[in-house]
Amino acid sequence: MISKIVKSGLTRRTFLKSTAVTAMSAGLPGASLAAGKTIKIGFLAPLTGAVAAWGKPGLDGCQIWAERVNAAGGIKLGDGSYSVEFVSYDNEYDPAKARTGATKLIREDGVSFIMMLGGDTWPGVQPVADKTGMLFSTLLPSDLSPDTSTLIAPAEVHPIYNVTGVEWLAENKPELKTAVMCAQDDALGLPSVATYLAAFEAAGIEMLDEPLLFDPATTDFAPVVTRLISKNPDIVCLDTCYSDYVHPIAEQLFQQGFKGQIISCTADFYDQMIAKTSEEFMEGFVFQFPDFDDPALNGDNINFTDPNGFYAEFNTRHPGQWGAVSWEYASIMDLWKAAAEKAGSASPDAVAAAMKEGKGKHAFGDADWWGTELFGIDNALVGDWPVVAIEKGKARIKDFRSIPDWYARHGDLLVKHMKAYDQMWDQRS
Amino acid sequence: MLDLLAQTGLNAVYAASYISLVAVGLVLIFGVMGVINFAHGELFMAGAYAIVALYAGLNVPFFLAVAVGLLFVGCLGLLMERALFRPLKDNPLGGLVASIGFLMILQALAVMGFGVRMVHIPPVTQEVIAFSDKVRLPVARLYVIIAAIVLLSALWYFLKRTRFGWALRASAQDPEAAALQGISITQTARIAMFIGAGLAGIAGALTAPLVSVNPHMGHSVIVTAFIVIIVGGVGSLEGAIVASVAYALVHTFVTTFWDGVLADIVGLSLMLVVLIVKPTGLFGSADRA
Repeated sequence: MISKIVKSGLTRRTFLKSTAVTAMSAGLPGASLAAGKTIKIGFLAPLTGAVAAWGKPGLDGCQIWAERVNAAGGIKLGDGSYSVEFVSYDNEYDPAKARTGATKLIREDGVSFIMMLGGDTWPGVQPVADKTGMLFSTLLPSDLSPDTSTLIAPAEVHPIYNVTGVEWLAENKPELKTAVMCAQDDALGLPSVATYLAAFEAAGIEMLDEPLLFDPATTDFAPVVTRLISKNPDIVCLDTCYSDYVHPIAEQLFQQGFKGQIISCTADFYDQMIAKTSEEFMEGFVFQFPDFDDPALNGDNINFTDPNGFYAEFNTRHPGQWGAVSWEYASIMDLWKAAAEKAGSASPDAVAAAMKEGKGKHAFGDADWWGTELFGIDNALVGDWPVVAIEKGKARIKDFRSIPDWYARHGDLLVKHMKAYDQMWDQRS
Repeated sequence: MLDLLAQTGLNAVYAASYISLVAVGLVLIFGVMGVINFAHGELFMAGAYAIVALYAGLNVPFFLAVAVGLLFVGCLGLLMERALFRPLKDNPLGGLVASIGFLMILQALAVMGFGVRMVHIPPVTQEVIAFSDKVRLPVARLYVIIAAIVLLSALWYFLKRTRFGWALRASAQDPEAAALQGISITQTARIAMFIGAGLAGIAGALTAPLVSVNPHMGHSVIVTAFIVIIVGGVGSLEGAIVASVAYALVHTFVTTFWDGVLADIVGLSLMLVVLIVKPTGLFGSADRA
């Protein structure tokens, strides 16, 4: 019997763990606080190296999340309350190290769930996920495919949400008619290029040039910017460039005299960009990741607990380090906690099943599990996403826009451009 | 179109300036000591972090911070000479491996001291020389161009017109014969290491406000420098300068008129063509190759 279950994708470890939790629940129906019990969550992301900016701030945010949850009584499962503890492993954005880390987190640390940045590291981890049935999360849904049944993308549907910024721009600044774009030539840049191309086409904004791709090792962006602005575009789109690129590109745009609109997926540390350019130059810069002290995040639609307080605490502990991912891993944990409490178990299978029942409580509002057309599997949580603009030196949410609504109207364009860049799930190697 | 050509030309001059500072330092160290210093990119990075610590952190005036950065990285070079290269002087491979180890140490120290993320450096100046609406040279970039011209001219004068320079060149050409003439090989190695490291350091310091400063920033610089010295001829200072200019022109123009990724391919192809046509590089001699 056990071998049959293992063959069906559930490992012996998972099976025994689930059985033990179920047995304990049955035997101790009235159990209250499970004193001293801890659920371990794996954090497998780059904490050093060039991509650390999309790992380390997320871990810092998770520590705050854990302290808040533990102070409020922990995670309430069938057999009582558990405190939560994060076990981190620095994968340095290296697939082999990610695989080692995943194995270690599961076998030695006994984690119940593993959060990842994903991207280039997911192929290293996928065999471990297949073998153990462990539930993983990624920030990059381009990792999803029909073969990744234990991988979910519950925080962001990168890069699809970028369409909301372009749509908002087209509606609110109809005088902007032409655009150019640059991106690093990698797994993060290319799907974003396809998305922005679809969004611009849907908005009736003409691309003056092919997207300008640059080597991720580029340090001098003057030639890139010279080329970008040579045709006098109304909009310069910075795609999903890493902040190490967004800053020098913005500075070059300023120095080379560009006076038009800039749109970008992220604008991490935009205060530093303002310092290097000017408040006037950065006015109206559109991107997709809000500061969590934004008053718009206090609405009833928001599912993230006390975003303003979280932002204040993060900045107290890590001044100047707030970035796009600071809240994302913590928001995944909100979803995981809700699902685990609903299931009464921390078992990966039970949590995954509970998580996908009905609407998902995404940070920016209730959302649906979606993605078959683009990713081959409905494991991405998609709903509304904020459009953010810099006003008088401060990021402010201008609107929340529905990604599914846009997709319903223009999905064919997105698929067309994704296919052109070989970014559909069945095209990726 | 003329504006685009002119702006691209200015971009290329800037690129050639900082690349030549790094490449000439690398060539000098190889020429005199016979070791390939893989940590040269991290010396560039150390110069940039000197600016982070002094200019951005302690509000030291920028040019004073650059001068201190030059001395600091020059001293790092002396440390490498004494601790790594001198004990391994009979083992060129050992020196190379030791420099890789030093590279990692410097990167780790940068991570420990300043964190893994890029560091913000306030602009030195936002002044721009505008030749027209579309042809503009930021003054901060002009500083790098001037520094490259002044320092490389001074180095040329030092090598060609001073006794220390003659000693350095003699050591590079034939260490044994130079020693027989009473030239201290250890002393010339120290001078070469200080100057070579200092050039990388000042390039890093001057460009720090213009790029993203992070512990891994030396990687792309060292790759470019290796391409340049192979094209110019390993051991040839003139070759390093000419190849820096050629590489910067080709890379900048291809990036601007075609594609940044294609520019890298063209740059590497340039190296391959030179290796096929003239394996010693444009200015290299057979005994150095």
